[in-house]
Amino acid sequence: MVLIFGGAYQGKLAFAQEKFQLSDEDVFFCRADSAPEFSARIICNLENFCLYCLSNGIEPRELLRQNADALRDKIVIARDISQGVVPVDPLQRAWREACGRALIYLAQEAGEVYRVFCGLPERLK
Amino acid sequence: MKAFISGSCKNGKSHYAQELAVRMARAQGRPLYYLATMIPHDEEDRARIRRHLREREGLGFETVERGFDICRCLDETTVSGKPVRREGIFLLDSVTALLANEMFPPGGDPDRNAPQMLAEELAAFAATVSGVVFVSDYIYSDAFIYDELTESYRRGLAFIDRRLAAICEQVSEVSYGFVKQHKAITNRGILK
Repeated sequence: MVLIFGGAYQGKLAFAQEKFQLSDEDVFFCRADSAPEFSARIICNLENFCLYCLSNGIEPRELLRQNADALRDKIVIARDISQGVVPVDPLQRAWREACGRALIYLAQEAGEVYRVFCGLPERLK
Repeated sequence: MKAFISGSCKNGKSHYAQELAVRMARAQGRPLYYLATMIPHDEEDRARIRRHLREREGLGFETVERGFDICRCLDETTVSGKPVRREGIFLLDSVTALLANEMFPPGGDPDRNAPQMLAEELAAFAATVSGVVFVSDYIYSDAFIYDELTESYRRGLAFIDRRLAAICEQVSEVSYGFVKQHKAITNRGILK
């Protein structure tokens, strides 16, 4: 598995598609209001996946663990939402924490980890 | 030489950017300009501007006040009345303020094309002058859900940041005085 994270609008997906030569058909965009799929090569917007899980009483990290086999050859892209003020809203607060736990798990499992900053990728693992 | 500096707020970006611009100007014996982007709204703003002006004079900066249409600074004079020469080194602090000025004109409607226009204008400016240090703000990693207009400003600033990071030879991220070089110049050329 490859994990790519970074702030909003930093060029994470463009980097993934260029590096791994993948087209738009290879991308699954997670949504907060519908169940995730683990079949496309690129699983984008993991933060939305986390929000979907929380809204349905699921711990995102556990759902990722259960799908570890399906994720093995995937590229997972996540927006880093960890660096602002602690959100006042309880759901946003839980969301931020769940994203953090999910990313720690994925970073451990991944063979390659990248952070993208202003369009420039940096390999962390 | 073109450099792009970003990082989160109030953590030493401006200080690092000033030092970098001063080093560039001294190494090449070029005039040093500070492009002041803030448009003052009250006496508190004006007092802050006067304080910054004094601080920068000690470092050798000539200040040029230009809150929008940045390329036009080359046809103007500095605060002390000197001509602005394109052979100089320019410190632009900050891209964030400049986009706010361009995108949200006082009394007018928000200009949704401002990010694209400003990205091209700054790239053209960088190609015209001898050296420039751009300072921006990394405002992309929080969990807050913004209103649509604020979100479009954030998206627009990121668009400009990516464009500038692509054309600059040095790209640095400053965290509380620590500097991470995402792209840097070595004696072998561009590092990465």
